[in-house]
Amino acid sequence: MSDERWLHALGQELARHRLAPEVTHHVVAEAAAHLRDSGQPALRAFGTPQGYAAAVAESLASQHRPHRRPPGRVRLRASQITKRYGRRTVLKPTDLTVHAGEVAAIVGANGCGKSTFLRICAGLLSPDSGEVVVDGVLGYCPQDGGTYDFLLPEEHFVLVGAGRGLDRARSRRLGRAGAATLQWEAGDGVQARHLSGGTRQKLNLVMAALGEPDVLLLDEPYQGFDRGTYLDFWQHVWRWRDEGRAIVVVTHLLNQLDQVDQVLDLTPATREVAA
Amino acid sequence: MDQDRRGQWLRGVLDVCVLALLARRESYGYELAQALDRAGLGQIQGGTLYPVLLRLQRTDLVAAHWRDGEAGPARKYYRLTPSGEEAVRRLSTDWRGFAGRVDDLLFPAMEEVTSQ
Repeated sequence: MSDERWLHALGQELARHRLAPEVTHHVVAEAAAHLRDSGQPALRAFGTPQGYAAAVAESLASQHRPHRRPPGRVRLRASQITKRYGRRTVLKPTDLTVHAGEVAAIVGANGCGKSTFLRICAGLLSPDSGEVVVDGVLGYCPQDGGTYDFLLPEEHFVLVGAGRGLDRARSRRLGRAGAATLQWEAGDGVQARHLSGGTRQKLNLVMAALGEPDVLLLDEPYQGFDRGTYLDFWQHVWRWRDEGRAIVVVTHLLNQLDQVDQVLDLTPATREVAA
Repeated sequence: MDQDRRGQWLRGVLDVCVLALLARRESYGYELAQALDRAGLGQIQGGTLYPVLLRLQRTDLVAAHWRDGEAGPARKYYRLTPSGEEAVRRLSTDWRGFAGRVDDLLFPAMEEVTSQ
């Protein structure tokens, strides 16, 4: 890896740790000066960009902790939701309340009803009993599907944008900008059926977030993402939270859980004590 | 010296050594690395040194400012703050006490095992 690429990668990694742009700039400039002075290759002097960025972030830990706004009003309230398929109970009575500016994670073993619960919250599926109240515009990102094989990405943006009161040009612009933040160039004319699985998930995510909905329901939306895009995804989640959205993420990856505001564990044996 | 051991020991005292160097005069990262090397502590990589400097800056023991180099690029210079000077005084005394107690254990033991 050339030093220039290493420094560029360092900048990206530091941004992923949510360091302020000027802090990132100074750390990169200092590393660049060190490389010029010492004549050492970057990997030898600093290790990997990921590792060095993590060490820097840790050194600055108390400084870069974002100050959290207190949560706002209730955006999503699901009360006593139940669902059965035939004789099989998928959801025992389940509650979830999410305020503006909060992230809730839904976790649990395969088949414990995570996606079912999210689809009920999204209004795509009726519960057998219980009630969901949503205050505001809702964006939903499914685990898969959700795209139209013969439409271009831009046509998807226009379609979703229309539902949220955006004109065509604005929808396209917002969609392309959203795609770019996930390292995806959505402007080229490739039909959805020819996109890779990971890119189709990016399309789903961009559609869910288009037009800044108040409530975001995300069902493991990062499948097929590479590591960098996966980290970018979580940065989006934290930014949306800071902007005051209410976010529900279905996830089986536990390393983000210490940062979320609440965890709803739908695994049958543990759900009484969780959340 | 065993490199793992050297690394372990250095981790405990690197920030103290950096403060001591800055007590003489302000300096920048690479110059500090060279000075540590000359002092016999071996090569300290940038990936180890700069996080220490950032932590010292965060805890307000050193202050930093950017200054253009005469020929080369701008460099970030570090100098002790008043609380950094205080820390150097305190840590020097602490270290002398601590190292002395380790010496008191080690050297009689060395005489024991060499006389056997």
